[in-house]
Amino acid sequence: MTDYHFFQLSESSLMLIYPNKIDVRENTFIQQLAQTLQHTTEISGITSVIPGYATLTINFDLLQIDQATLQTQLTKQMNLLETTVTATQRIIDIPVCYDEAFGPDLQAVADFGHLTIADLIHLHTQQTYFIFMLGFLPGFAYMGSVPDQIAMPRLATPRKALAAGSVGIAGKQTGFYPVVSPGGWRLLGRTPLKLYDPQNPRPRYHAGDYIHFYSIDRHDFDEIYQADRADAFKLQIHQRIGDHS
Amino acid sequence: MNTIEILHPGLFTTIQDIGRPTHQIEGFSESGAMDQLAYQIGNLLLNNPNDAAALEYTGIAPDLLFHTETFIAITGAKLSQPSLNQQPIQQNTVYAVHQGDQLNLGPITAGRFGYLTIAGGIQTPKVLDSRATTLKAQIGGLAGRTLRAHDQLPILPVQTLTSLEYRHLAWHALPATQPIRLLPGPQWSQFTKQAQTQFLNQTYTITNQTDRMGYHLTGKPIATPTTNLLSQGTAFGNIQITRNGDPVVLLADRQTTGGYPVIATIAAVDRHRFVQNAPQAKIHFQLLTVTQATALWRTQQQNLQALTQSFHAMKYQPPISPQRIAAQKITSMIQVTD
Repeated sequence: MTDYHFFQLSESSLMLIYPNKIDVRENTFIQQLAQTLQHTTEISGITSVIPGYATLTINFDLLQIDQATLQTQLTKQMNLLETTVTATQRIIDIPVCYDEAFGPDLQAVADFGHLTIADLIHLHTQQTYFIFMLGFLPGFAYMGSVPDQIAMPRLATPRKALAAGSVGIAGKQTGFYPVVSPGGWRLLGRTPLKLYDPQNPRPRYHAGDYIHFYSIDRHDFDEIYQADRADAFKLQIHQRIGDHS
Repeated sequence: MNTIEILHPGLFTTIQDIGRPTHQIEGFSESGAMDQLAYQIGNLLLNNPNDAAALEYTGIAPDLLFHTETFIAITGAKLSQPSLNQQPIQQNTVYAVHQGDQLNLGPITAGRFGYLTIAGGIQTPKVLDSRATTLKAQIGGLAGRTLRAHDQLPILPVQTLTSLEYRHLAWHALPATQPIRLLPGPQWSQFTKQAQTQFLNQTYTITNQTDRMGYHLTGKPIATPTTNLLSQGTAFGNIQITRNGDPVVLLADRQTTGGYPVIATIAAVDRHRFVQNAPQAKIHFQLLTVTQATALWRTQQQNLQALTQSFHAMKYQPPISPQRIAAQKITSMIQVTD
């Protein structure tokens, strides 16, 4: 975790930059550093942080701390953290109805991977996906990585409006659209869960969590849809201790 | 309940404050006032906390009816003929208003975003630590939307501070012909020398694609780096170069992360000048070092603090003339930095 440098993004923000690659271990470190800095009392003047895939943007108050002092103190924090990073993982189960009415690209992605639709669903649900960061839309999680066999590139022309809850693939990434949005992802299905609620805007998952999709039928979709909107659906969250791989 | 009623909402009026920077980690846009300097000046004229919520308007400003007494100030974009009970009023000046008073702000004639600040700030509920409206997330302000006729805005009861009335700040921004100053962005060195030179030497036009998320500029397209960049955190004023070679400047409601290369970032000291540009305006840039930009920003902030302190010191002094003279002296300090 020593291969990094700092870049001054603006007068009052500093960017910690790791090599431009998708790496769960490195991103986990970035997430934990972000959480530490967001709540630290050790360093005065940090106003907010934004983790990226391989970067951490640190905004600070110039009237409280200067860039050089901040950089020295950050380096100290990073060295401390490297020895204390723990590997408890949170896995959140997300139900998905892989029905062609919800997943108009099921056949295209199955063809891309030389698979049947049933095999495609099996492949998409058999592993967990790491949330590298939240951004783009309220509650939008950047997750990866799907097997190469089904890592189909985005549509050449994005669709104008994808329904909230749409689940899809864009290259090695997979994810869901929390609100109605234009989008070019290859859609495989839809989750009945309410992924974003302006009345209760905090996301139900965070960067650093893992998502596990499981397949449900149309009947379950309708039931969970109703239950979740009546606050009667309990999201299944598991803990596991393990190495990030 | 002390309220202000919206009679006519104008074209696009929202409640804004300093935004919710700490929730960018959860993917929420920072939001807040587009022109933080004009917004801050409005608040400090009224002795408000620096995060007191104000109305931000663009295009056509709103008309309002006061159901209570308070103090107000208007700052930012220039209005054609703002009036209080049909009497013309000035910008950057504090007015006392009373129950039944009507404020007509009318169309903007120069600049882009204006602010109506109110003593104590608008008291709509905070969402994720801020009252700022973010339309995309439908949060903040009133139900996360632009204001409509008949909306009632809750405000605080105020004590009569006669020393506030007619407090005035003679403040002017640099002429628009001056370049917008920049810092090199994190991907600056990934652009070719030719692209860098072209970017700094050409005149850009602001397109009609401008909103609180960002302004799209157009010019002669520049060559973009071929490396595939992973999404990274954004900052106010980041200038991304999109695939077609044109710049997009990221502003208050920007996405928290972005994947286009960032060639430069608008110097904090010039943010307010940049956002006040309307579509079709011509822009050219000038590159500063981080040290130069930091010094300019520090001076501007220190002058604002000095102004705030001097206003607070004058809070309980007899009204009008002495403090107006003092305020004008301090004003010159802000202009120096600009």
